[in-house]
Amino acid sequence: MPLAALAVAGLLIAGAMIFLYAPEDDLQGQVQRIFYIHVSSAVAAFICFGIVAGASLLHLWRGGLRADRLGRAAALVGLVFTVNTIVLGIIWAKPIWNWDPSQTWDARFTSTVVLGMVYAGYLMVRKFAPPGPQAMRLASVVGIIGFIDVPVVYFSVRWWRTLHPGTVLGAAGGPALPPAMLYTVFITLIAVLFFAAVLVAIRYRIEWERDEKAARAAAASLELAQSPGGPGERTSSLDWG
Amino acid sequence: MRFISVALAVAGKDLRSEWRGRELLPALAQFIILAVVIANFAFDLDLTTGPRLSPGILWLVLVFAGLVAFGRTFAAEREQASLEAMLLTPAGPTAVFAGKALAAAALLAVCELVLLPAMAVFLGSPLSPLVFATVLLATVGMAALGCLFAALAAQTRARELLLPVLAMPLWIPFVVVGGRAVQASMTGAPLNLQPLAVLLDFDVLFVVVASLAARFVLDE
Repeated sequence: MPLAALAVAGLLIAGAMIFLYAPEDDLQGQVQRIFYIHVSSAVAAFICFGIVAGASLLHLWRGGLRADRLGRAAALVGLVFTVNTIVLGIIWAKPIWNWDPSQTWDARFTSTVVLGMVYAGYLMVRKFAPPGPQAMRLASVVGIIGFIDVPVVYFSVRWWRTLHPGTVLGAAGGPALPPAMLYTVFITLIAVLFFAAVLVAIRYRIEWERDEKAARAAAASLELAQSPGGPGERTSSLDWG
Repeated sequence: MRFISVALAVAGKDLRSEWRGRELLPALAQFIILAVVIANFAFDLDLTTGPRLSPGILWLVLVFAGLVAFGRTFAAEREQASLEAMLLTPAGPTAVFAGKALAAAALLAVCELVLLPAMAVFLGSPLSPLVFATVLLATVGMAALGCLFAALAAQTRARELLLPVLAMPLWIPFVVVGGRAVQASMTGAPLNLQPLAVLLDFDVLFVVVASLAARFVLDE
């Protein structure tokens, strides 16, 4: 709970910095302020994706519920951040690129859309597969292959055409942003990543409670079936009597 | 050696049962011709727009025909519950998977032999050996991924729904690179073999990945 409050406070500080502290962009005007949250959500989405792949690998290797639960939590949070990234990107791109399809589908946009689709597939496998170890195993396979596919999509489109601005932060000769913007970027990034971590933790707990509940229900029905006078007993006496 | 003979035996079994039953291929051929006819009327093609739009039509039809073909590979095994029997033999799941993928790739290649001439006849698409090579190279990787996800989807409730959702995002690299190669070839650009090399890389990558993952998917 205190962590959640801290995450919200962090987001509020980041929001204040984005709108009050960071200077207005000369070329793009106010729209450029989307950049801070857009980039931070993209980083959060890709980190969540890495966690899904790592957890999937761990689950296939070692088995067990814990890695799988982490994968489930990170996939859901990652999907939220992926959608957020795409929606913000679309809003930002409308006035800047004027939504020309030949310019829109560049490497980063395409691979982020594919990322969202892979997350959705991962969660859908869980929904449709028979619950239990089978759903976990099948979803883990999707998580790992999706993780391999997203960079392949990125490079295959990049090789074809791309439009996104080059790396701004890691450019040679120091970052190409004024210091006020740079501080805002870092504060927003930290706030969003912390928020994402808290969301994953909350989701992990929800999944944990759900697993516990399922285990309790299974144990209870087993006990009921075995107890004298339980439904299992009665059916058998009816059958044979 | 044993792995290869098992895979070939499984592929031979699938192709033989398809040859004797003749269920999937006639239906797929019909599907492909109908798709090309619909594309012709949907785009209202003429001599100039036909060649320009045909690469896109080619990949759209190929992706959907692939989904139908791969969906059937494991559906038939499931209906007769013969997959469990096959996995109970000492054959090993990876070899069984390789055989099924091989057979599915061969079926899709036959579909392409229907699709490309049909496109030349109905849409006026300019064909060249490069187009055939590109499509065949893409088929290998698409079959590896498609078969893996068909095996995965066959174990779930909504398999017809799940296969496209899982396979299509992962096929995008093949469509991006293959689409560019076919586009270049059909518009008469100078010969460039680089896309073929990239497709070959993708094939190697995804065949290896799918074979590694097959053990976990087919492990009932």
